[in-house]
Amino acid sequence: MEMSNIFHNICEVLRFEADNPMIFSSGLFWVLFIIFIPVYALLKKRLWQMVAFVVAFSLYFYYKSSGIFFLLLIGTSLIDWLLSKLVAMVEKRWLRRLCVAVSIVNSLGILCYFKYANFFMWNWNMMVQGNFQPLDIILPVGISFYTFQSISYIVDVYKGAVSPTRTWLEYLFFLSFFPALVAGPIVRADYFLPQIRENRHATTDEMFGGLWLIILGIIKKAIIADYIAQYNDLIFESPTGYSGFESLMGLIGYVMQIYCDFSGYSDMAIGIAMIMGFRLMKNFDFPYKSKNLSEFWRRWHISLSTWLRDYVYIPLGGNRKGTLRTYVNNFLTMLVGGLWHGAAWKFVFWGAMHGVGLAVHKACQPMLRRLPDIWIVRALSWGLTMVYVSLLFVFFRAASWEDSWLIVKNIFTNFSLDYVVPFFTVRKVWAVMMVVIIGSHCLPSRVYDRLECWFVKAPWAVKLLIFVVVVQLVIEFMTENVAPFIYFQF
Amino acid sequence: MKSLKDYSGLWGVLSVALLLICIISWADGFSLFGIALKPAPIAERLTREPERPDVGASVALKQIALLPVEKRLVADTTSHSILIFGDSMLEGLNRRLGAYAKENGHTLNSVIWYSSTTKTWAECDTLRHYLRRFKPTYVFISLGGNELFIRGIIESRDRYVKKILKELGDIPYVWIGPPNWKEDTGINELIANNVPAGRFFVSNGMKFDRQKDGAHPTYESAAVWFDSIARWMPLHADHPIRMRRPNSSAPGRPATVVALQPPTN
Repeated sequence: MEMSNIFHNICEVLRFEADNPMIFSSGLFWVLFIIFIPVYALLKKRLWQMVAFVVAFSLYFYYKSSGIFFLLLIGTSLIDWLLSKLVAMVEKRWLRRLCVAVSIVNSLGILCYFKYANFFMWNWNMMVQGNFQPLDIILPVGISFYTFQSISYIVDVYKGAVSPTRTWLEYLFFLSFFPALVAGPIVRADYFLPQIRENRHATTDEMFGGLWLIILGIIKKAIIADYIAQYNDLIFESPTGYSGFESLMGLIGYVMQIYCDFSGYSDMAIGIAMIMGFRLMKNFDFPYKSKNLSEFWRRWHISLSTWLRDYVYIPLGGNRKGTLRTYVNNFLTMLVGGLWHGAAWKFVFWGAMHGVGLAVHKACQPMLRRLPDIWIVRALSWGLTMVYVSLLFVFFRAASWEDSWLIVKNIFTNFSLDYVVPFFTVRKVWAVMMVVIIGSHCLPSRVYDRLECWFVKAPWAVKLLIFVVVVQLVIEFMTENVAPFIYFQF
Repeated sequence: MKSLKDYSGLWGVLSVALLLICIISWADGFSLFGIALKPAPIAERLTREPERPDVGASVALKQIALLPVEKRLVADTTSHSILIFGDSMLEGLNRRLGAYAKENGHTLNSVIWYSSTTKTWAECDTLRHYLRRFKPTYVFISLGGNELFIRGIIESRDRYVKKILKELGDIPYVWIGPPNWKEDTGINELIANNVPAGRFFVSNGMKFDRQKDGAHPTYESAAVWFDSIARWMPLHADHPIRMRRPNSSAPGRPATVVALQPPTN
């Protein structure tokens, strides 16, 4: 073993790798976090040193994910901060509004360029029958999240809901806070900025509570979601290659995968922030327990839906301008939400259909309220909501419109129960994982609270054992592959 | 210092766990209660030889199947006992290869293992069994179609490809690459890395008419596919055998077709 090789490889690992961004469940993050903790603990009492250290770590974290684009984050934060100071200083309303407009245009302009430029150009060229050559644009990781944070900050400063931060460093801390930087939860200035000044020490219970959330997140993201994704990918890659039953399993799998993936990552983010003494808002609250679409959006990606409510829906007029406008506002808000998820018509359609669903639910509410609160009604409401949400996820995931329709058509026209036994015989592990995640979703939240309390109070060695077992499971499943095709047509 | 002390418990859990995972990673095979634990790729990542810049990597795959002109050989005109084994792609290939075998006086035996992968064939003695049973003097392999989207395939399945090739020993063979319907995650590169020049027919990039499933070439398209292989063999295969094109497009059939059910893992 040559030391020079090891040194060279360490340098390679620490460098930006475009196809290998640093995520919380990666080994590299774990090692860096072990180095981070004692330094953070030592600096905790010296506020500005701690802030500078966390900012430096966050920027490195962002560099590992997006390379040189960490400079864009620094630039955006500087412009936002200067404009927010100006908003707080000047008294003329038009000037204050101008500052807010400049800041929003700047933030959205950058987002639009990186995320939507090719989409807009493609559409334009489709209209004028031009010869479209896509621009070679790389999307900086997490730009959608921190853009929304920067918009909420400048708007809140304008409204007087928060005071601008005294220093740029403090604002950069808010915008680049690494636990929430690349995949949320979207942090709100009024909730987060006071916590920086407060500089609260996490209690030992909170630290282990944070570790518990990290463990849950790892199980959801790195074990379950990453494993079941392989089968789901096969279905979505080759929509006509499978029977209706297999396609349905792929769809249900994807519904669970997207939840485990996203909520697992949010759990890890919240857990890491908790260890550092910061509170981030809950991002998922058992969304698949929802019995209607409005409830679903109160439980799914909460930080985004509340952001859209406060900065799109309410400014549009919310429910204050009559029934019809309420529906339209709801629809437009969800359209923005859809487009936020990605630059493609399929996301616009997905958002629009959720908007339609919300409007229909709102319109039917007087009638729905008259229904008795009995189990059959609850079950039907839940079933209807889940079918609607799941079918829309087909359009969210599939590569194209054609693929989406093929999968839906396949489920409804090529369905045969003959595939049930062979399917579960061949894909036992996949099925077990699905049972685990569906079962754990059905448990009441108090069970998780109790488990967390038990973990926090458990002896140190038990915590270590649980953590090691979970990490080893990640390693075991990392190289496991789901069985691919079953062909019975030959 | 108090703050540091507060974090010591948590830090200890993370550090000791990392230490244990590192030990497993560096140990040469580690098992607990009879269960072999997979090592984290830490040791492998840190101790691997630095990669040299490979300027021709992308073209290498396309060229690997081509034998240098000076090494091209005269076709072996003797009759062969041919074995073709692999996944469901054999359904289409068998018919045309059967016709070629009849035209050229070869005997063809075919073993189709539906849904099989390199892993499936490498982890059992099925291949050895059929090599003993049919005693082939020439082999066609058609594997990889079920492995187009496997993550980290180059690292995780390298040993399986090596195992299959080792099983073949000195028998000349041609590995027919999968007819990609989407970009793969590295199966073609993996095969190219292991198979010498003149033994890998790269099907990726060819145009196929597909069956309803969107993956398998139609029988007509599979016939054209095998015609391409037959044209490729005398020019580029390192052991070309007689492959004169049949006059008719009528499908042939192997002397034996063994169909195995999908693997259960």
